[in-house]
Amino acid sequence: MAEASLSADMAPSHKTRAAQQPQPLAGRRYALEIRQHMAWHWQALILATALLAGFAISAAILIGAGVPADELANEFVMQTFFDGQNFRAVLFQAAPMILVGLAGCVAFRARFWNLGLEGQMIWGAIGATAISMWQIGPENLRLPLMFIAAIGCGLLWVLGPAWLKLKLGVNEIISTLMLNYMAANFLLHLVYGSWKDPKDNFPYSPQFRVFERLPELGAGIGSSILLAGLVALLAWWLASVSRMGLYLRFVDANPRVAHASGVPVRRTIYGAVLLSGAMAGLAGFAVAAGQEGRLTQAFYQGYGFSGILIAFLARNNPLAATVVALLVAALFVTGRSLQVFYQVPFSMVQLIQAVIVVCVASSDFFIRHRLRRVGGEAVQ
Amino acid sequence: MPNALELTGIRKTFDGFAALTDAHFSARWGEVHALLGENGAGKSSLMNIAAGLYAPEAGQLLVDDNPVRFAGPRDAAKHRIGMVHQHFKLVRPFTVAQNILLTAPPPAEFQSHGERLREISRDIRNKAAELGFDIDPSKRVDALSVAEQQRVEILKVLLAGARILILDEPTAVLTDQEAARLLQTVQGLARKGAAVVLVTHKMADVKTYAGRVTVMRGGRTVATLNPQEASVAELVKLTVGESIAAQGFQPSAAPRGPVRLSVRGLRTPASPEGRRVLDGVDLDLHAGEIYGLAGVGGNGQGELAGAIMGLQGEPTEGEIRLEGHGDLKTMAASVRRGIGIAAIPADRYGLALAGGLSVAENYAIGRVHTGRYGPVWRLRRGRIQSDTQEAVRAFDVQGVRSVAQKAALLSGGNAQKLVLAREFGKSPTLVLAHSPSRGLDVRASAEVHARLRAARDSGAAVLLISEDLDEVLQLADRVGVMTRGRIAGEFAQPADRQAIGQAMVDHG
Repeated sequence: MAEASLSADMAPSHKTRAAQQPQPLAGRRYALEIRQHMAWHWQALILATALLAGFAISAAILIGAGVPADELANEFVMQTFFDGQNFRAVLFQAAPMILVGLAGCVAFRARFWNLGLEGQMIWGAIGATAISMWQIGPENLRLPLMFIAAIGCGLLWVLGPAWLKLKLGVNEIISTLMLNYMAANFLLHLVYGSWKDPKDNFPYSPQFRVFERLPELGAGIGSSILLAGLVALLAWWLASVSRMGLYLRFVDANPRVAHASGVPVRRTIYGAVLLSGAMAGLAGFAVAAGQEGRLTQAFYQGYGFSGILIAFLARNNPLAATVVALLVAALFVTGRSLQVFYQVPFSMVQLIQAVIVVCVASSDFFIRHRLRRVGGEAVQ
Repeated sequence: MPNALELTGIRKTFDGFAALTDAHFSARWGEVHALLGENGAGKSSLMNIAAGLYAPEAGQLLVDDNPVRFAGPRDAAKHRIGMVHQHFKLVRPFTVAQNILLTAPPPAEFQSHGERLREISRDIRNKAAELGFDIDPSKRVDALSVAEQQRVEILKVLLAGARILILDEPTAVLTDQEAARLLQTVQGLARKGAAVVLVTHKMADVKTYAGRVTVMRGGRTVATLNPQEASVAELVKLTVGESIAAQGFQPSAAPRGPVRLSVRGLRTPASPEGRRVLDGVDLDLHAGEIYGLAGVGGNGQGELAGAIMGLQGEPTEGEIRLEGHGDLKTMAASVRRGIGIAAIPADRYGLALAGGLSVAENYAIGRVHTGRYGPVWRLRRGRIQSDTQEAVRAFDVQGVRSVAQKAALLSGGNAQKLVLAREFGKSPTLVLAHSPSRGLDVRASAEVHARLRAARDSGAAVLLISEDLDEVLQLADRVGVMTRGRIAGEFAQPADRQAIGQAMVDHG
């Protein structure tokens, strides 16, 4: 005989058995049910609790790894956000993070699993560098041209997978992921080959000239973070204000309904995917022209995963993605200082990321279900 | 006869909404027991509890007079209870045999997968022959018609060993002939000793086939009685709580207008066996008339509807001409909506509404292309909200606490009314309604029908595709019968029901 369906029977089983009474005693039984709807403030509370749990577990891990407990808060909060230099480092780190995060959000909203963020980023950087290498355009137009080239190249690199998916039904997870390797190897081909810096023969491109780099806005803050902020606003406008946002919600919710209701499904998907590629390309531009000042051989590593993670944690919401990207960037910066001061391996940062993702992903369960006491007044 | 299945004092709430408050039900071995009630009366919820899908919050479940508790459908199957759901639970890309293998009892001794599959296929053929129909176990489920899929469901529960058979609205998607055959089959099962529960809201089926009937209303059991001793009017009164006058055919007040839609030689590509889903459909639809297209399910109705709506389906040859707009086939779905084609698809949550999105969004999507809700770069949320609120009021969509709530929270009838509100919001010139009252209760169906008549009277051409002959005869000014992908016959109203029924099966 089965005990209970989908519900934990907390009554001593001999009682129910002896009486052959399946009715639960008052307050002894709980049932799990699917929740259709939850007010947003409750959702926020659950999400915050999950984040806190993630932080607590991460703190425990760090303490286990030898970081003194009383230093944790100092390292994470005070040093990162209230120390001017570190805060600038966070913003510096955050710009490309925000851009890949947004690229993830936009594509995932169209149910296109763009795992090729790194490849598009590489091509964005290559495009920008090409303008610099070949000295196309006058000096004052050089940076805008690099910007456009980065967008164009990122967009073109994702056009293939988009076309393959919409025309032939080729799985975009595979095609975009594999194209990452092609992009990465082409990058190596360039920096070890014709684009190698002739000055020192290291595998990176020659340094960009001053007017080819993203300028500082003052106080040590780069303009790349401004660019990322503007792109975030653009993504927010697209998702929440424009008509395309409504189309995207329908494509995401049910493509067949969308099509039958007259949503231009293909055009919407193409638009979102190409925009995603363009944003990833801009991330490459932000690294090359904003951080490194040249094309290097491994600048993209980790961004693909971070982008997906940011989009996931932000539930594909562009503004939330911006905040999450800032936090991830802070984690990177803090991780580096932990590495220096406490000899904590940098992979700990990835571990913390993973812990937080798992916690947030689990919180979904509580948003979708409710635990409810049943049988309180069950005697009939 | 002893009770096979008994449920007493059952209570169940969903998200604060009490679906069942105090429900009782019992079915005896060897009887067909009908469970009658409107949509939302709690019939399906109660039977889902009997089938182990939901756990009741209070009340008792007895099989053979022994109290039982189910942790899931598997436990229910162990007590030989099997349920055929209204929305089939089949794995569509799998074959019939694979689907049945999923729930079949494990083999007594070791068998290779191939042997097991062959054995199951043999069992399927034998059982099907016993029940009086023919099925190919190696066919994929998505290649079967709705009626055939239902047979697979029935075979599935029978081969899993069920002796207490619960059928949830089994005739909702069948034609008269198919339904009669199905009900005769289940009657035969009962005669051999099984207990059959027939969840339905069709009075005629209850009167003809059920030995006893239990009526539910608002989550409670109202009465259990012998249907032979009650009139249809009494049964209707018990189910709805008040009497609703049966409505007959009401002809159009005005004479019909010119031809608005003309379909010529519509054909889909031939399958390797040479069969075409659409095989030369010729159809003229006039302004100001309802053309009812009757027919056994799976004779191309869905494809015809899809071709008119502009769904991505198989490419077709032939033409679909709309007066003043030329051939529709070159137009995108959004353009078709723009020129006044309204569509009420059969698959409500598969084609008409996105359940996860809000009522307002689902309403707005129908007109957003026209620019009524702002230019491309800005959505006018205020106007969407006020328009939706107005439409919800005008079409009496109930259960909308806020237009921001998810459309999935609406009951079947109200979801359909939301679809109607959207589609009829801008006085359509052509209405395509495919099984518009499928799964709706008497009251909601009547409202849907009234809307279709109103559309006709205001000059729209209405194409009603339905597998429910009663619905077609009640509404249509002309009746066509679709078999094997073409129109096999047309009948003027008042049409001879027998002749139509004959035309449906003659070629099918």
